[in-house]
Amino acid sequence: MSQISASDTKAAVHDPHDGDRLLTVERVLAAAAMGAICLISFGNVVVRYTTNFSFAFTEEYSVFLLLLMTLVGGSAAFATHAHIRIGILADNSHRFASVFTLLAALATLLVLGLLVYYGARLTWDQYRFDELSAGLGNPTWIYTIWMPVLTLLMIARVLRRLRQDLKAP
Amino acid sequence: MIAANLTLLFVFLAVMLLGAPIAIALGLAGFAAIAVGLDAAALQFFAGVTFSSITKYPLIAIPLFVLTGMIFERSGVAAGLIAFAQSIVGPRRGGLAIVAILVCLIMGGMSGSGPADAAAVATSLIPSMKRAGYPPAFSASVIAAGASAAILIPPSLALIIYSVIVPGIDLRALFAAGIAPGLLLGFALITPAWLISRKHGFGVDEGDVRPPFWQSFRRAIPGLMAPVIILGGLRSGLFTPTEAASAAAAYGVFVGVFVYRTMGLREIYRSLSDAAEISAVVMFIVGLAGVFAWAGTTLGAFDQAAQAILDFTREPMVVLLMMMAILLVAGMLLDGVSVFMITLPLLFPLAVALNWNLTWFGILMAINVAIGTFTPPMAVNLMVTAKIGNIPLESTFSWVLWFVFSAVLILLLLIFFPEIALWLPRALGYVV
Repeated sequence: MSQISASDTKAAVHDPHDGDRLLTVERVLAAAAMGAICLISFGNVVVRYTTNFSFAFTEEYSVFLLLLMTLVGGSAAFATHAHIRIGILADNSHRFASVFTLLAALATLLVLGLLVYYGARLTWDQYRFDELSAGLGNPTWIYTIWMPVLTLLMIARVLRRLRQDLKAP
Repeated sequence: MIAANLTLLFVFLAVMLLGAPIAIALGLAGFAAIAVGLDAAALQFFAGVTFSSITKYPLIAIPLFVLTGMIFERSGVAAGLIAFAQSIVGPRRGGLAIVAILVCLIMGGMSGSGPADAAAVATSLIPSMKRAGYPPAFSASVIAAGASAAILIPPSLALIIYSVIVPGIDLRALFAAGIAPGLLLGFALITPAWLISRKHGFGVDEGDVRPPFWQSFRRAIPGLMAPVIILGGLRSGLFTPTEAASAAAAYGVFVGVFVYRTMGLREIYRSLSDAAEISAVVMFIVGLAGVFAWAGTTLGAFDQAAQAILDFTREPMVVLLMMMAILLVAGMLLDGVSVFMITLPLLFPLAVALNWNLTWFGILMAINVAIGTFTPPMAVNLMVTAKIGNIPLESTFSWVLWFVFSAVLILLLLIFFPEIALWLPRALGYVV
């Protein structure tokens, strides 16, 4: 019964892995992205109503921060088992529990691996063809590259978690 | 094509039942189906689709509302609301049960996530309800049911997702349409809570300490203002939904730091990082569900499935019942956002084919999922509250079924009288 939900704040907050240094880095980054999204969005409201001036161009940065937050936060969630899953079968499989754990981890690694591979190819294509973003005209690869890079971090997380799960039943 | 469609379905089910994250099941199913049904060249879009599914501007409202809810819960707003509800209801049999549901409704107007509200309310109320003579199994049932209304009461994360996926839907209209059914659901839950408490004499030991009305009202004002700011800001055209979300978050920080003085930098940092992690889990699903939807749409899987259902019957009531069944089961297993992401690509073409009002349909989906979140045996909300009440899940079943029954009555009302949802957005001048 451990899947409950990501929104079950208790599970995310009081985690035994709090002492983990790398996890702390991920949390700080995710919090920073979250804070920056807030500041930009709220700043936009304030500026728009006080000056008639709109910095709508910040949309491009906001959605990029959303992507960053998703990737580092998602990585932390792999470490703490906070991802939403249906555990009804796997958690009651007793003798076969480690088989379920292993297969689920393989599926996870496969999908993350695909994200790294195709993400890297996408980044390379954007770099090669000098693709520019629609809003600000920045090279798009400077955004895209973070997807494969941070997905690698997730893979490291999943592997480490798998080792712990297989060791301790 | 049949092979690819079956791949999409079975890979998704298999990986999900293995206990892998839902997002992973969605991503792998989409990839496998494209690999089977189309050529390898199409596979190169895998990363691009994930990237563009996440980087959508309207989705920024999701982390902002999650953060708002978190800040309000931690700054002592929830406690203020509980005291205020207590001062209104007063000590009586069933009093605390009614308080619990009222607080769930108001909390739903801040955070948009049922299980989080259930956790917050259960933590503070189950112990005091126990002292007043309510069995924890009953308290857990009441709170799980009450918290389910969060998906209907704005800001609702699932409704934000709905407005992003379904073209031509005004999120403000959708938010407004959820209010009346959400409140109605709340009152439909209060009825059995009160009747059962009276019958069994729960709450006779509530004592006669009633928080003074004006004092607790003053303390609750910051909490009561949050829905006003969000909805009023949207109505007056002052804010877009994303801006309303950012204003609500800023307001929450202001209340926590300057009004209640319960939050310092440390609490703000913790709220930011926890809200980021929770939103990341949701957004990770959104990203890979994008791959699933892209595969299903490109292969025509959703259209064919919808067509198969319409070939079977065009009787709206039968189609509706089938949808309800799917949504109820999905709602028992998963959170609202995931249910919407997974089922909408299939259900949306059906709703269009049958010429249903799409705003009404979104609310109908939401209330279905709401009921699913506290319907045994797998109910998400019930798991949270039973865990906090430290009781076995099974002990709640005999109580919670009364609430399920009562909520289904509201669902039926909404099916036969769509105006229950639609009058408010119409009255506010939104296109529905």
